[in-house]
Amino acid sequence: MTVPQMEVTSEVSTAPGAPEQGQKEIAGKSPLRIAFERLRRDWVAMISLLVVLFFVVIAIFAPLIARLLGVSLDTPLASERINLINQLPLEGPPFGGFDPEHPFGVAPRSGQDNLAVWLYGARTSMVIATTAAVLSTVTGVVVGLLAGYLGGVVDRVLMFVTDVFLTIPFLLAALALSPILSDRFGTNPELLGEVKFYSVIGILTVFGWMTMARLIRGEVLSIREREFVQAARVIGVPTSVILRKEILPNLVAPIVVAFSLALPAYVAAEAGLSYLGIGVTDRPSWGQTVAGAVQWFESYPQYLWQPVIGIVLLVIALNLLGDSIRDALDPKTRR
Amino acid sequence: MKRSKFMAAVAGAAAISTLAACGGGGGGNNNAPTTDDGFQEGGAAGELKDPEAQGPADPIEGAEEGGTINVLLPSPDTGPATLDPTAGWSVTDNSILQNLVFRSLTTYKFDPETGEMVLVPDLATDLGTPNQDFTEWTFTIKDGIRWENGDPVTAEDVAFGIKRSLAGGDLQGPGSKYSKTYFAGAEDYNGPYEDGENYEAVTVDGNDITIEMSQPFPEMDYWGSFMAMGPVPSGPEGEPPGYGQEPLATGPYKVASFRPEVELVLERNDEWDPETDPSRHQYPDEFVFQFNQDTTTSDQIMLSNNAESETTILTALQGSSYQRATEELGDRVVSASQACTGFFFPDYDKITEKEVRQALAFAYPYEDAAAAGGEIPGLTRTFGETILPPGMAGREEFDAIEGETMETNPEKARELLEAAGYADGEYEIRFLSQSGSPEGRAAADQIATALEDAGFSTRIFDYDGSGYDVWTDPDNNIHKQLNVQQVAWCSDWPSGSTFIPALFETGQEYNTGGFSEPSVDEAISEVSSLPVEDQPAAWAELDRTIMQDFFPVIPTGYYNNLFAYGERIGNFQNDAAQGFPNWRDMYVVPEGS
Repeated sequence: MTVPQMEVTSEVSTAPGAPEQGQKEIAGKSPLRIAFERLRRDWVAMISLLVVLFFVVIAIFAPLIARLLGVSLDTPLASERINLINQLPLEGPPFGGFDPEHPFGVAPRSGQDNLAVWLYGARTSMVIATTAAVLSTVTGVVVGLLAGYLGGVVDRVLMFVTDVFLTIPFLLAALALSPILSDRFGTNPELLGEVKFYSVIGILTVFGWMTMARLIRGEVLSIREREFVQAARVIGVPTSVILRKEILPNLVAPIVVAFSLALPAYVAAEAGLSYLGIGVTDRPSWGQTVAGAVQWFESYPQYLWQPVIGIVLLVIALNLLGDSIRDALDPKTRR
Repeated sequence: MKRSKFMAAVAGAAAISTLAACGGGGGGNNNAPTTDDGFQEGGAAGELKDPEAQGPADPIEGAEEGGTINVLLPSPDTGPATLDPTAGWSVTDNSILQNLVFRSLTTYKFDPETGEMVLVPDLATDLGTPNQDFTEWTFTIKDGIRWENGDPVTAEDVAFGIKRSLAGGDLQGPGSKYSKTYFAGAEDYNGPYEDGENYEAVTVDGNDITIEMSQPFPEMDYWGSFMAMGPVPSGPEGEPPGYGQEPLATGPYKVASFRPEVELVLERNDEWDPETDPSRHQYPDEFVFQFNQDTTTSDQIMLSNNAESETTILTALQGSSYQRATEELGDRVVSASQACTGFFFPDYDKITEKEVRQALAFAYPYEDAAAAGGEIPGLTRTFGETILPPGMAGREEFDAIEGETMETNPEKARELLEAAGYADGEYEIRFLSQSGSPEGRAAADQIATALEDAGFSTRIFDYDGSGYDVWTDPDNNIHKQLNVQQVAWCSDWPSGSTFIPALFETGQEYNTGGFSEPSVDEAISEVSSLPVEDQPAAWAELDRTIMQDFFPVIPTGYYNNLFAYGERIGNFQNDAAQGFPNWRDMYVVPEGS
């Protein structure tokens, strides 16, 4: 939303200073506009964006896609699809060829459809990672802004809190929370599933906002001494307005970069938690599939590859996209 | 009883975690369980008991001394938390320590001709002398038995150990069930540390130890095979919890190092005298037990067939590796009976109609749930309708539901539900899923699918710890929500007395469904006081009565182990009495032979 505003201001500010230069019109461009144009020319960024969009579509339309492809999460009786002795699927991979009814094959032991689990797993990963990234970014930005701009006691208190959170080991907290939740909400399984889902988001957020806060605080410290902020202060602009209108727009670049790099980290962290058995349990997730598939790698490698490729593809795409955005926004890091 | 860690997570929600298995089948050699095992006729006559056995044990043909045997015990088998002989009460702990480290009044010996385990004297000169009505037992302790430090083991030491089995707290173990129940005056005596060494029921006269019982206890000789019925030094060095870290060995091996849940290393005990021991050997130099190993890694080590795996034993091969293992290891993959039964245990107060419980039995997906839970139906899990698992004395097969074969049959289940007056989907079954492992969840999903096929509706409660936290604790909030509990039980020795009372007597901890019928309680105490030779048949009869008259549980399967061992392990046998490898008679084949 700040983009058009800045465009206007920059055009206004350049127009009077610039004499008419004849035929070649010079369009005033905001730094963000320049960055977007750079990004558009970056084919790595565009491919990554396509991949990310692909997963976004899957996440949003998982049930629809599953229905289109004729697969579902319903658990059949294992014996309908599984050879109970070697516990591998009767049809399709690893021994058979492509099985149109189950394009990704079925899971060993339980016979659940792999494609359906994969689609819904993508959804879980995306929802958790995006929500956690947004929440931790908002928290981090607010804390960083206040600490950096207000300084003094507020700064010290907020930074102390930040340091405290940095010292708590994230994994340990996650491990400790899981049994507490099970105990507290165990009598209501539907609620427990929801609670676990949100607790994963909560844990990722609570232990993910600190770097953002520190980054923003550092930026704010330098910006608040700049002339335009000083000027605003002198003419009596309220602090909240200074923060929102003067400082925040100058932080767009670091925020976007940090956000885009946090996303893949959260995707991986969510999978890790599920792998350890302390993440979501009431819906499919890639981490859970990986945890179950490890021991089948020898006899049924496809089963492990599916979630792994999903995670790797998404994380790499998000990372490359984040890198490209950073490069585009900060010309100094350009080759 | 204490849950053995052995199969807890693997079995997952399929019902199923193994309970204290310390003993078991005098018969039932792996997948061919026979009902005519020797105990029934041989219990008194001595086919499976040999009071005459004398040391030294017969040498094993071709066995050589030396070498190290590595044992991988995959997760969730965390091994003993303490080495204290009084506290040990799980398959792993008892099997390792009773076979190799601690001697007790009696013990088992592997009979190579029948493959059975035979009860033989150990520290005692015979299997004990009971009086007429089994209320007093006398054991005579052999001379020439020494601690690992060279001091002689006296009858006083043994008596002290026996008194210790009545202690609670850190030392709580199988004694809390057997010593407490049967020894005279046991309710007022809480072990030598709390109440002093003066306990009238256990008296020593020279080499003779006499134990007074409060009620007839014909199976004292079996109870004598527990390491809790062995010597412990009185005085400071035998005090818990320190003794659990550095116990004094009397058997052929002593503890070289012990890290709980990680590793136990045993080395030769030179003070052990083979002349006094009718059942144990001392071939390898060292045993290294590694606990809580990664399941996938241990399977890979076993399959890799490298130098390390040649002298390695794996105590639980995963179902996922079974096919490859049979191709590559051949006969060195062994399935062996464990004398355990898993149960789906409807809450007796909540599911009151017998028809509904029977409908559950027809709805339950026996093979599917076992497979989803990581078991191989027909191999690591076999199925039947009796409470007693194969290999138990006197066990006879019968139709639990008269005139019907109990198997997954949704139509039959629907009929029964209808007969009980419930419409399709009206009756809700609420059970626990051990969601800590993918297998646990998968098994619960299978059960839910099958029950819904059969006209029930279901509600699964996730719990990521051990299910026993919930099932055995009536005050647990989740426990109160469930209407079907679960339990798995293993025998302590091949008698129904170690099985049926623990599960079906009113108020027992592992009677998780809260089954309570005065007539059954009466029958249990009646059978316990029968002459020893009549007991096996009486327990089997009670098994039938409970199932046919009340149908309180759905037996979901009998447990078998899947072991694998390396090329250079000599004389690998299953110890059917303990449901674990028979460590006593193994040796390492020298390289290049």
